Amino acid sequence: MKHCFFLIIALWATHGIAQNKQVLYGLTDVPQNLMLNPGSMVPQKKHFGIPLLSQIHLNGGASGVSAYDIFQEGEGDINTRIRDKIFEMSNTDFFTATQQLEILNFGWRAKNEIYFSGGMYQELDFITYFPRDLAILAWEGNRDYLDYPFDLGELSLTADLLTVYHIGANKQLNDKLTVGVRAKIYSNMGSFSSTDNQGTFTTALDEDGVNIYDHTITDADILVRTSGIASLTDDDSDKNVGSALLSRAFFGGNLGVGMDVGVTYNVTNRITTTASLLDVGAVFHSKDIESYRASGTYNLNGIELIFPPLENGQATVPYYDNLEDELEDEIPIDTLTTGYTRWRPLKTNASVEYGFGNIFGGGECDCMNPGGGVTWQQAIGAQFYGIMRPKGPQMAGTIYYRRKISESFSAKATYTVDSFSSSNVGLGIVADIGKVNFYLAADNLLRYGNLAKAKSVSLQLGFNIKIDER
Amino acid sequence: MKRNLLLPFLCVCTLILICSCVKDTDFDQADEIALTPVVELDLIYFNLEASDFFDSISQTPRLEVTDTTEIRFLDDTFVQEDLKSAEFLFNFTNSIPRNFQVDFRFLNETNDTTYTAGTTVAEGSLANPVVTSYTETVIDEDVISLTQADRVVVVVTIPSADASLEGALNLQSKTTYFLEIKD
Repeated sequence: MKHCFFLIIALWATHGIAQNKQVLYGLTDVPQNLMLNPGSMVPQKKHFGIPLLSQIHLNGGASGVSAYDIFQEGEGDINTRIRDKIFEMSNTDFFTATQQLEILNFGWRAKNEIYFSGGMYQELDFITYFPRDLAILAWEGNRDYLDYPFDLGELSLTADLLTVYHIGANKQLNDKLTVGVRAKIYSNMGSFSSTDNQGTFTTALDEDGVNIYDHTITDADILVRTSGIASLTDDDSDKNVGSALLSRAFFGGNLGVGMDVGVTYNVTNRITTTASLLDVGAVFHSKDIESYRASGTYNLNGIELIFPPLENGQATVPYYDNLEDELEDEIPIDTLTTGYTRWRPLKTNASVEYGFGNIFGGGECDCMNPGGGVTWQQAIGAQFYGIMRPKGPQMAGTIYYRRKISESFSAKATYTVDSFSSSNVGLGIVADIGKVNFYLAADNLLRYGNLAKAKSVSLQLGFNIKIDER
Repeated sequence: MKRNLLLPFLCVCTLILICSCVKDTDFDQADEIALTPVVELDLIYFNLEASDFFDSISQTPRLEVTDTTEIRFLDDTFVQEDLKSAEFLFNFTNSIPRNFQVDFRFLNETNDTTYTAGTTVAEGSLANPVVTSYTETVIDEDVISLTQADRVVVVVTIPSADASLEGALNLQSKTTYFLEIKD
């Protein structure tokens, strides 16, 4: 328990709502912007991401606690700080980590003016909600919590390692409207999830007079699903884990399908709105499934001795075995190998932007921007981000200022309010040096002086070869 | 302008990332993390009738009745390492007009006694059952002895019994485990 706790803390200390790339969204100078809105404006003629370097994305966060909260130097006992945090946090607080590595990304504008793009990326996505009641039970025990129903349903976590193959199409339909769609095939290398659990554990004074307490598990229904893990942990397996994962990465895993859709609409030549839906899809887990389900109700009163008259050497009643059998009968743990379907975490982006300042690159007809209308030198805007998680949607709101400083250099500053904080300042820069396109985006910059105080950090960077229309 | 601004801007951004650090923290404190749960758990219970102390077939008293149960978790490595103290509470309700001696012998896998406890239960009557509460606190070295055991033998001794003896001896019990879980 302690190791798990420390591992989670350490994990995010070294590295927000996971997967929110608020700095990158709408930055049309970065080709990977198309991954956030397939219906975005596309200024370039073609692009090719430097393999393995076109996007590196790291994101980690904890909504209710920072490393500094626990490990701060100075007065006070660490155990008191942990205890205080356990009681301060709620069961909707969460720990999350996301990592993405783009392996391939490319795109080109066809003669019919459709911008096609495609590629492949690997993703690790993890979220666990804080099981507050279970943490209290582990930290304090049950002595001071008689009659309190510890909620077993607070156990809620998912972890997925997958590769995603995608191909998309983007087209400006008229002066105002640009739309895009992206088809995805998921190859899941490993998946672990336990959500929608229920049940309570209560210790109460026994009113029937059988023994001192009733220890009761009521209406338990706990389901843990795994795919792609059992064969890796199988002692009899001679398979090399690395080669097994590699084969799954190339369509050898549990497959799924999904799509992204997006749109950009120029309301006026100054006001632009965008919206996208990402990962509308599911993975169909059918191979290497090992799931466990425990369900039922059980009341424990200890062991009843009946003092049977025994001859010398005769064994007494196997009370402990009987107790274990009774528990297994009442709350059986079934091992399941049946397939299941898991929806991908649906993401939503939306923005509205107001452009001002000079029109970049010339007059109303901007030859550098054939995919859109007008590129204003400066813009302010607001963004919304939402992601579906096991206990409901998590949302973030961002206001931003974007400026195109020169033909080859753009920057965007963001201020985001989300589950982690209300003071998240981010900055992104894009530089086109010759045909090399480089971008770097990070948030929570105010905390970079001491990351221990940050509840979340997000970072994306990458290199592309970009060929403009000229 | 572009060349003038680009380099400094990139430098500043890179510096921010490079200079980012984790400070004012001491991760060595992780060694001091200790969970100290106090767990209450029912132990054993029984309900002995007065007739259990007299063999109606041979018409002879059974002055000592014994039973044994495993408590397998008691000698688990986890318990051996993390149990700091334990407190047994035995609540007897006696409506038999006899005193009882009740002994608890904790045995290990090879049936060696590693820890013992016991008490005298006051006599009661059918009209007026008497409650005897007995608390056994196990601390220090005794915890090591206790956690070598994986079963407990309960011996109930009555000084005398006959066919006319009436009433019942009831036991309810629990254990409070004081744990300290460290690295």
